[in-house]
Amino acid sequence: MNAAAPSTFRPAGILPAEPLAAYQGAWSSRLAAHLLRRAGFGGSPSDVQRYAGLSCADAVAALVHFPPTDGYPEPQLIDDETPGMAAMVDKDQRRELRKQQQLANVSWWLDRMLATPAPLQEKMTLFLHGHFATAQSTKDIYGLDIVVQNELLRRYALGNWRELTHYVARDRAMLKWLDNAHSVKAHPNENFARELMELFTLGIGNYTETDVRESARAFTGFTFDRQSGQFYFNDRQHDDGPKTFLGQTGNFNGDDIIEIIFRQTAAPKLFASKLLAFFVYSDPEPELVDAVAALIRKNAFVMLPVMSTLLRSNVFYSERAYRALVKSPVEFVIGTYQLFGITQTKPPVVGALNRMGQLPFHPPSVKGWDGGSQWLNTQTVIARENFASSLMAAPEMKQSDSWLTQGGPTSANDATFRLARTILQGDASSSSLAGVAEYLDGQGTSAGGALSGENFEERMHGAAYLTMAMPAYQLS
Amino acid sequence: MQRRRFLIGSLAGLSVAANAQNLFGAALAQAPLPGLPGGADDRVLVVINMQGGNDGLNTVVPHGMPEYYKYRPTLGIAPGDVLQIDRNVGFNPVMKSFKSMYDAGNVAVVQGAGYPSPDHSHFRSTEIWQTAEPEHYETTGWVGRYLDNAELPENNLFNAVALAPVLPELMIARRVDVPAVAALAGFGLSSDRNASQRGAFAAIDRNAGVPFSSPYLSTVATIEDHAQRGSEELPKLIAGYTTSASYPATPLGRSLALAAQIIGSRLGTRVIYVQHGSFDTHAAQKGTQDRLLGEFSDGVKAFYDDLAAHGNDKRVLTMTFSEFGRRVAENASRGTDHGEAAPMFLIGGGLRGGLYGEHPSLDTLDNGDATFNVDFRSVYATVIEKWFGRPTKDVIAGTFPTMPILV
Repeated sequence: MNAAAPSTFRPAGILPAEPLAAYQGAWSSRLAAHLLRRAGFGGSPSDVQRYAGLSCADAVAALVHFPPTDGYPEPQLIDDETPGMAAMVDKDQRRELRKQQQLANVSWWLDRMLATPAPLQEKMTLFLHGHFATAQSTKDIYGLDIVVQNELLRRYALGNWRELTHYVARDRAMLKWLDNAHSVKAHPNENFARELMELFTLGIGNYTETDVRESARAFTGFTFDRQSGQFYFNDRQHDDGPKTFLGQTGNFNGDDIIEIIFRQTAAPKLFASKLLAFFVYSDPEPELVDAVAALIRKNAFVMLPVMSTLLRSNVFYSERAYRALVKSPVEFVIGTYQLFGITQTKPPVVGALNRMGQLPFHPPSVKGWDGGSQWLNTQTVIARENFASSLMAAPEMKQSDSWLTQGGPTSANDATFRLARTILQGDASSSSLAGVAEYLDGQGTSAGGALSGENFEERMHGAAYLTMAMPAYQLS
Repeated sequence: MQRRRFLIGSLAGLSVAANAQNLFGAALAQAPLPGLPGGADDRVLVVINMQGGNDGLNTVVPHGMPEYYKYRPTLGIAPGDVLQIDRNVGFNPVMKSFKSMYDAGNVAVVQGAGYPSPDHSHFRSTEIWQTAEPEHYETTGWVGRYLDNAELPENNLFNAVALAPVLPELMIARRVDVPAVAALAGFGLSSDRNASQRGAFAAIDRNAGVPFSSPYLSTVATIEDHAQRGSEELPKLIAGYTTSASYPATPLGRSLALAAQIIGSRLGTRVIYVQHGSFDTHAAQKGTQDRLLGEFSDGVKAFYDDLAAHGNDKRVLTMTFSEFGRRVAENASRGTDHGEAAPMFLIGGGLRGGLYGEHPSLDTLDNGDATFNVDFRSVYATVIEKWFGRPTKDVIAGTFPTMPILV
């Protein structure tokens, strides 16, 4: 009965021949929904139909070549700490303003994910946020610091990730988060240098402790100007002496270090295995990782062609990849809103996401979120079910002219079929669907009569909740 | 066999309103007769993870070592402020409650704990302490392997409990799914208020054939089932307990209060995980570490006061760990970087208190780090063998001598 820790979550069976070659098989709404869950957050039922009406190639092209999204307004600046404004509030007020700002930043991003015409851009941004994981609640990261970083990640979502890494090393939130802003010649701080290699580019085992210490020296002087908040290279605090790093010796600075790192074979491999685990399946085979790493290297870390190939590939549409990932809390929440046509989040969603274990801009550590089986435990699953249950009882559900209740009362069987098709793409067992039909018909514990015009809406909301409580809905 | 023991438990006045079929029979079977505490089946281990790498040198302060003050010009704690244990070491001044427990003989300090070829990554080192496997990647945790081998009742959902939002690696087992409970208030299905929904939710056949295969399918089905049953039962099972201490209003205080409640309700729980932190003090260390150590000290004192008031203090052993200590020399940000050896604490009414192991030398450092004297796996082996009465070899690879802390 227990399945707590299989040795691996890699799917059973074998890798398709030519895993990265373009998929030529049949296209269906089931696969269109799979693509939208992975390359976005799931989309609405009409999005699924629209993508099902395209070819696979056109569907992927529509996601990868997204419209410009630059004009999106920034969140309101609440926690303004420019000197004039800073003098006007005391410590308690400041704390309150910071809290409000943090909340506003999170809501801003969630709403943007929900409404974006470029779901893949937001999904890649979410990937990069988990990769260069930075939290806004500590280290004096305040105001729009985290939003500035988020816009950087968004700008490079499908861009050149080597170049992005140079900008991340200059990003104000990152300079604070991993303490490099305070790293000086006399006492280099190793925090950023270590995580740059361990988590952002090479992975453990591909550098030594000496490489950490030497590269920390190279990053001394990477800081920001206190007045303007802009990146600033403080050459008086930079250690200009020779360093030996990954076998090379020179008077390296931080940019030199990043260039050396990106010439290592471990760098494309780390990105390849993280991308596969995020977009395809957990614990990918070494040969698949190598194939994607070769693709990344061939494209010199420019991600648009890499993602085009991956999202069109045989392995992406194979049975091995289908429902082979656990939805992250953000995917679960945004996907559920899109499913029911809700266009704006409400502040309680922040608490719900926190209980599910993934609050954007608040990763548990610089390692980001482990994902996979780590998303699921009794506590987080309760939080997911409770989110679904409270959404089904929320006023916006009553107002929304949703597919759920459109056309008015119908038979319990037809209603169950509609729920199973729209919410789960049919991925449910017949016995569990029979349970939903029975609930709709008022059979079971506290009956209340058969399905009728009177109780139709309420019953459909309850039945949608039960459908979302089936295993497939936790899986992407 | 289990049926008979269930009846004995009931006769002893421990019956609980568990309505799920036979679900907690086994849990009750584990509950000892009142007045007979202390059997190996009755013992509980509480593990406190001091996340982020706690600076050992400012926790158990080597005030007798002049090098300490040389390496810590701003962070060093003056000898007069240290809560002295002896002429060499003492506790951080914020740990007054903890010192009183030490003085009462209820704290063992294992100095200089670590492992060979220490890793300076939070994540890898945390993994090493939680899997007890420094040499290769292991998917189960050491507590998980103990649970797998301890022949615990299979249908007891609460053989172990993680008081955390995410299941820690040390509790990942092959055969046992450990529930995570972040806080009791959020541990319930809101649809439980609606009886027909609850009935239908409970009735969903999650293991039945679905038209796809997923490596996560059985995990999801199991956890959804446990979430439904566990959340319905846990609040009822622990409702009869009255907290008898005043805990600090901190996350750690709340977790320890809940731990005492679970222990006092005798659900057959063997291991409880609690976390505290973050101790990752690269900059401005003093404020953060003093606050966290103060919360730890007061929280643990309240925990044992509560346990003692219910007669449970002798059957509960608490063990702390942190993924590493910190660099001996402070950095330019009045903080410390990732280091190596650091002390562990064992706490309880049933141990021999005192100092164990040598304080790491500050004369000879490993690239600026204090080196370990006691392999942490010796401490784990002591807990496994002397506290739980199980063979270490089922849990940890390799042979490690036990320590005379538990006799």
